[in-house]
Amino acid sequence: MLRINVLTVLLFLGLTAIAQNRKLSGVVTDGTTGKGIPSATVSIKGNKGSNRATDADGRFSLSVVNGKITLQVSAVGYVAKDLQVDAGTNEVTVSLAQSVENLSEVVVTALGIRREKKTLTYASQSINGDELRKAANINFMDALSGKAAGVNIFTSSSGAGGSTKVVLRGNKSLNGLSEPLYVIDGIPMVNNKGGQPGSYGGTDQGDGLSAINPEDIESMTVLRGANAALLYGSQGANGVVVITTKRGRSGKVTVNFNSSTTFDKVFNLPAFQYDYGAVNGSDYSWAMTKGSGYKRGYIENFFRTGVDATNSVSIAGGSDKTSVYFSYANTSATGVMPTNTYTRHNITLNQSTKLLKDKLTLSSNVMLSSEISRNRPGAGYYNNPLTGLYLFARERDFDSYKNNYQVFDSTRNLYKMNWYSTEEKQNNPYWEINNDPKFAKTYRIIASAKAAYEITKNLKFEARGSIDYADKLFDNRYAAGGNSVSVSPNGTWSYTKYTDQSLYTDGIFNYNNKFGDFSVTAIAGASYQRNVFNDGMTVGNGTVSLQYPNFFTFANIPNNVMFKQTINRSIKEGVLANATIGYKEMLFLDLAGRNDWASTLALTGNQSYFYPSVGLTAIVSEMIKMPEYISFFKLRASTTKTANDVPFNVVSPNNTIGGTGTANATGGISRNTQVPFSNLKPEEIASTEYGAEMRFLNGRLGFDFTYYNATSTNQFLRLSAPSGSGYTFYYVNAGKITNNGFELTVNAEPIRKADFRWTTAVNLAQNKNKIVELIASNPNYQVGGDDEGFASIIKAGGSFNDVYIYKFNRNDAGQIILDTKGVPTKAKTQTLVGNVNPDYLLGWNNTFNYKNFFLSLLVNGKFGGVAFSKTEAFLDAYGVSARSAADRNGGQMSINAIQGTTAVTTIAPDVYYSSIGDRNRIMESYVFSRTNVRLAQFVLGYTFPAKNKNAVIKDASVSLIGRNLFFFYKKAPYDPEQAMSTNNSMQSNDVFSMPATRSYGINVKLTF
Amino acid sequence: MKNIFVAILLVSLLASCTKNFKDFNQDPNQISDQMLLQDNNLVGSPFSGLLFNIFGHQIEEDLCHDSWMGHLNTPTPFVGNVNNTTYYIRWNAYWGRIYGSVMSPSKQVIELAQKYNLPLFATWAKLIRILAMSKLTAYHGPVIYSNYGTTASTILYDKESDLYDSFFKQLDSIQTTFATNTSYTGFKKFDPSYSGNISAWMKLVNSLRLRLAIRLSKVAPALAKTQGEKALSDPAGLITTNADNFKVSLMGQKMPMAVICFEWDDTRMGAVMESFLGGLKDGRVSKYFSTASNSALYADHPTFPYKGIRNGAYIGAKIDRVPFSKVSEDFQTVPTRRSFTAAEVSFLKAEAALRGWVGAGDPQANYENGVRLSFADWGAGGVDAYLADNTSTPWNYVDPIDAKNNFTASSTITVAWNNADNNELKLEKIITQKWINNFTNSLEAWVDFRRTGYPKIPHVAKNDSSPDWGVIPADQWIKRMPFVNGERTGNTQGVADAVSKMGTGAKDDIATRLWWDTGGPNF
Repeated sequence: MLRINVLTVLLFLGLTAIAQNRKLSGVVTDGTTGKGIPSATVSIKGNKGSNRATDADGRFSLSVVNGKITLQVSAVGYVAKDLQVDAGTNEVTVSLAQSVENLSEVVVTALGIRREKKTLTYASQSINGDELRKAANINFMDALSGKAAGVNIFTSSSGAGGSTKVVLRGNKSLNGLSEPLYVIDGIPMVNNKGGQPGSYGGTDQGDGLSAINPEDIESMTVLRGANAALLYGSQGANGVVVITTKRGRSGKVTVNFNSSTTFDKVFNLPAFQYDYGAVNGSDYSWAMTKGSGYKRGYIENFFRTGVDATNSVSIAGGSDKTSVYFSYANTSATGVMPTNTYTRHNITLNQSTKLLKDKLTLSSNVMLSSEISRNRPGAGYYNNPLTGLYLFARERDFDSYKNNYQVFDSTRNLYKMNWYSTEEKQNNPYWEINNDPKFAKTYRIIASAKAAYEITKNLKFEARGSIDYADKLFDNRYAAGGNSVSVSPNGTWSYTKYTDQSLYTDGIFNYNNKFGDFSVTAIAGASYQRNVFNDGMTVGNGTVSLQYPNFFTFANIPNNVMFKQTINRSIKEGVLANATIGYKEMLFLDLAGRNDWASTLALTGNQSYFYPSVGLTAIVSEMIKMPEYISFFKLRASTTKTANDVPFNVVSPNNTIGGTGTANATGGISRNTQVPFSNLKPEEIASTEYGAEMRFLNGRLGFDFTYYNATSTNQFLRLSAPSGSGYTFYYVNAGKITNNGFELTVNAEPIRKADFRWTTAVNLAQNKNKIVELIASNPNYQVGGDDEGFASIIKAGGSFNDVYIYKFNRNDAGQIILDTKGVPTKAKTQTLVGNVNPDYLLGWNNTFNYKNFFLSLLVNGKFGGVAFSKTEAFLDAYGVSARSAADRNGGQMSINAIQGTTAVTTIAPDVYYSSIGDRNRIMESYVFSRTNVRLAQFVLGYTFPAKNKNAVIKDASVSLIGRNLFFFYKKAPYDPEQAMSTNNSMQSNDVFSMPATRSYGINVKLTF
Repeated sequence: MKNIFVAILLVSLLASCTKNFKDFNQDPNQISDQMLLQDNNLVGSPFSGLLFNIFGHQIEEDLCHDSWMGHLNTPTPFVGNVNNTTYYIRWNAYWGRIYGSVMSPSKQVIELAQKYNLPLFATWAKLIRILAMSKLTAYHGPVIYSNYGTTASTILYDKESDLYDSFFKQLDSIQTTFATNTSYTGFKKFDPSYSGNISAWMKLVNSLRLRLAIRLSKVAPALAKTQGEKALSDPAGLITTNADNFKVSLMGQKMPMAVICFEWDDTRMGAVMESFLGGLKDGRVSKYFSTASNSALYADHPTFPYKGIRNGAYIGAKIDRVPFSKVSEDFQTVPTRRSFTAAEVSFLKAEAALRGWVGAGDPQANYENGVRLSFADWGAGGVDAYLADNTSTPWNYVDPIDAKNNFTASSTITVAWNNADNNELKLEKIITQKWINNFTNSLEAWVDFRRTGYPKIPHVAKNDSSPDWGVIPADQWIKRMPFVNGERTGNTQGVADAVSKMGTGAKDDIATRLWWDTGGPNF
């Protein structure tokens, strides 16, 4: 804490300059509608530090020097304006003309610093908070998909409160998830991803994004490249999402009330058959003759209509010295999976006070959230209601299992599951949802305090501190009498409780000045971050019996089960500096550098590492005379080097005390047998980007193009040590991964009339990933391996997460080779069939305004890549897929095969599907194109015009919302964007994961 | 420039704040060597783990030699019913366990024992290494032993003959060291098997020497006889009573077999066990297995309510054979498992006597003593009648689900000893009884089977062997496990050298015979 004291002293040293000031307040209005423009930027010309943003009504207040000044006013979507304010004027109204994208737009960049977009040497894209809230998404990042270029978003199929995977510009690291850093008002936010389901089962444990109340977001800026994110150090290596929260403004109190209710329905279920049952009580519905009267509809009826209701209220206001914003929101969701619920409460309070003649601003922000989810649906084979539901033998009576999902066992005096199959992956779905409760809870506080002091007109100092603290509990209980493979005879309990804590503090000087034709914007500072994650414990009895059945408490844990303490911690210290030198507002040179000290690299000699960045922007339209129709033309280039951290405790770990299931069993000492990694280095990413921005026809048409390439080296790889070496594993820094691609945003306003307006934006991006090398001496080295017939592999010569599966064993003539029993044979090795990641991302967002009606249509497309469905493979093997019935109807199905030397042209469907389906078999038929294009969002609304200026209700709107409504194009039998897992390898894999949902609902917004 | 000055100031402040980085990067839930120095835990505490890891679990044992030897079999059609049990290798994990959890930590233990002047712990660790490696070589043949712990890019394997020479020499030196330290009590706290009783460990050393000598009795008869007789004559003696049995602590965990059987429903009685135990009216059956849940399953012998699964069986759905005989409920609660019993020693001596080794005693006495020790050890009754039975012979086997798994018993032996029998028949009786006794320790049974061809167990019903891992002809059984993929790709030259050390024509497949598996006559 010594650092902070020094910073504080420095801060107070500066409290000297005092000048005569007056208060200037006003309102910024839309030139077309006359309404106030929120979040417009107002500053005094010649004093860049005087930036203020307008409130929800477009109001602002500023402290300005006595005498005449020039106000500079800009806002997203408007043409900026300079306005002279006379000495005697203390109240102004500034009316701005609309444009598609303003040339003088101000964006919030790293560390919360507001900069004019035109000076940036790297790509950035801002999205207004209203746009994110439009379709009432519970998770703000899910709402971003398609609305910004190059943001690849996958949502967990687990429903409300589930995790989200976001990747900007491709996967850069083998070790991490390559997800961007999230920053709230300049302070890094913790986004730890919990456990994810795998082939064998599990449940999405969420991430840090779901805790944020979308209502609190004023705007969001996506800084896609490391170039932009350098100032955050290694954390920002994968890009940064900068979130600016709403603030209170001086003037009248504004109360906002927003209520949305959406209904979720599953759609896109697999195609089932209900005509053929099983023979002799088998698990497999492979009768070759049709049965009669088999029930149908029970699969569809198993799911219910989910309801997501969110109500939020916010109050914002303030005086010329203080401002305050308060919000409360609650979300209550019932999932499409029966018994699944999710409840969230959010409270946010921020305030800001100006002291010492407005030179010192003290502000604080507290965000509290509580999330409770019950029975969040999982995926995979074990303890998943969908396996039993889908594979149910068709001749049986589902209702009898539904109504009697448990039967009383009088010998044990407890209920047992009633299910006909003892397969490890099958359960009575109603037993599963009623008797195996899964509970997850997160309480979280993100609190920050900031002091900003204007030392001189040109020099500002800010000091910030924050804590991001989450208390998490995952408590999964499986009742006695369930599936004997996954649940102990007395029940199974897994209990995990831990806290995630991140302390962050920084101190930053901000300097702005002009020297003739040159302008200088410079920052310099230091930051300190101390993360202690996963600090807690976990215990699980697995299949070791609890002492007494169905009682879940520590005392009931058998004595050979270990309570495990967990922790993951790091300290990162950094100093940073950045200077932007402008020449005649047409040429900007940006230099930045940062040095980090990381505790995870202690003892390696590499704990201190430096990375630089340099960028150049030329506003060509200011340099040379452009044709009339080109209103703006900018070129930019930047190059940077940054680094990815290594994990905690890998340099030289100690020994562990064993527990059940560990190599040395309860109580034994497991010696650390890792080769000490004394020369470990951080992963390095060198990236370069080039961009061009053009606006035509007074801004009615614009595009923003970026080409980038990034090379990641020094990948952190874990290797098995040679058997004879004396060790078991070791780490190396090796490998080279490249990502390159482009991002293009086209904005247009094809129609701009007084009462009809159409704005449209197309976001397109491509990323090409190449694993150039992993271990030079071992070209076969790979990360990832076969997962029950689906292999998602990273190896030299390929791309990140290439998909390998087994195909048919064919002869040179292409005939499938049958074995002596006439069963198709499987190829000896797995074949590359594609990559899980899409090649192109496309988003097309449209807004129509007609009088008081508004309509928003978002089309999202992802092109390229493959999707894999093990669900379909199982449905085939069990004879419950529609195609297995269609082929039975025809008796024999055709095949181009050979048995010995005899050509074979027909095959029995049961022989065929039993040989290809299930896990680990011939998966060729279950790989699909991942390409899909959908109507992602539809919003139709009406704004009630305010009766007069003094009406109680100033603004009111009501809208109909639809999300994920239908596909224009899709080949996979499931929705590849609603993933069973948001980690790297299981993407675009479906193993009994939740079917996709379609949502529709209503949103009501009132402003008082 | 003020901010540059500040930056410099901050840099120097930060640099001084990195001192706690080292501690911060340690996991406070891990225990340091410094902490373990207390009570000499540093050197002693890994031993229970070293001993524990001599045995494998499902994929190392149950789906390998437990199945191949007909002790147990799985009702589960793993990987489409094409797996290790049907001679297509899917799992090859024992190698990794031995190197990862025995060799690597014991290397550290030996170094630490020397550093802290506790040489007897190093001796003890070396003995455990021989126990472990003598098992590992029975899977693969050549293994990395004398070159273990080098950093060379190619690490050469020990030729089997060299390996056994090393074992015997090291056993000599271990026994010498133990002999001069019989009153040493330093192991007591760390020894879950013998509570630090050096004399007991010395009996194990002799017994192990005898076991290894018998292994080599065909391929290197002179060496085998020398070593066997040394073991038989050593004053420390052999494991002779059940109280001497070498058992390994399960360290609070359930016996793997019980977990696999009762929790996972992945293993059941073997059909070969049904054939022999039922046919020979063996009282141990109720100590090994539980009765089948449905009498229709054992309709072929209603008075013997057990039903096993054929080795390498054709399996449709798992549910078909889940109702077959589970292992005995007793295995749910046993705290230890047998690694070397007095009965096994007695059967070793019986074979040694057949081979005329000095000090081995009388074959019949040893044979009958072995059976009695085994019955006593397992708590079974009726041993007198059993030993006198000269009419009962192994049964044919019927699979009530799928007749493709049926087999006709090829052995016609009875239990009763007959001095008039030829050596071959005597050996068959000895090895068959050893095979029954070594239930839960089937690796030794696999060694004996390959070496002698006894007991006469059927071929796998379903033979999925292919050129991928080697073809096992219809009249043969699996001969070895291939080297592991990590070694095949990471130590290519070492593996190539190892294959050449297995003799001309040897391949790294499952059809290549190990050194002591000569394929020749037993006498």
